[in-house]
Amino acid sequence: MKSRFLFPYWCRYLGWGLVIAHVPLTMIAGQNGMEIESGPGGQGLFTGSHLFFMCTALLMATGLFMVAFAKEKMEDEQIWHIRLESLRWAIYVNYIILITSLVFINDTGHILELNLWVPLLFFIVRFRWVIFRLNRSLSREG
Amino acid sequence: MKNNIRVERAIKNITQGDLAELVNVSRQTINSIESNKYVPSTVLALKIARVFGKPLEGIFTLEEGD
Repeated sequence: MKSRFLFPYWCRYLGWGLVIAHVPLTMIAGQNGMEIESGPGGQGLFTGSHLFFMCTALLMATGLFMVAFAKEKMEDEQIWHIRLESLRWAIYVNYIILITSLVFINDTGHILELNLWVPLLFFIVRFRWVIFRLNRSLSREG
Repeated sequence: MKNNIRVERAIKNITQGDLAELVNVSRQTINSIESNKYVPSTVLALKIARVFGKPLEGIFTLEEGD
């Protein structure tokens, strides 16, 4: 099956690397008291903290994006089907959270951040969970 | 949609892995089709029928409610 618009298999590991690399960077920034939590707004564009926020957010978003859309070892129509189903669920969850937070939270910076990683992370978790269940049922049947 | 792939495999004496290789999908996919968890595309159904040398209706049958 031809699978267009997907990254090669090894991009999954590169993606996880980028996501993991973003964690200590954010922690160091938090210890140094940088205001990365406030999001890109507030102190103007291309200031130190804005650039830092942009870099860490980009690292995480690019990493998650690569993990989510890297090919599987055996990319067939069932995987394609699971991928589409998971994407649908991710969009549902994202919009439920987005709408709820727009109604109940008055902090657009955090909503933007949430919107950045919720759909990708939910997609990855759901996709991997379904594949894990498939593999488990396969090993149970032998 | 029901299918008798398991029976046809036993007659032809091939494993899920062999069939998966012949139709170019993963073993998980064949397993899901056999246990009626996944309905294959027309292309894949035709490929599977071709492996067993039977018409499509000889392998796949519609169930009530389909």
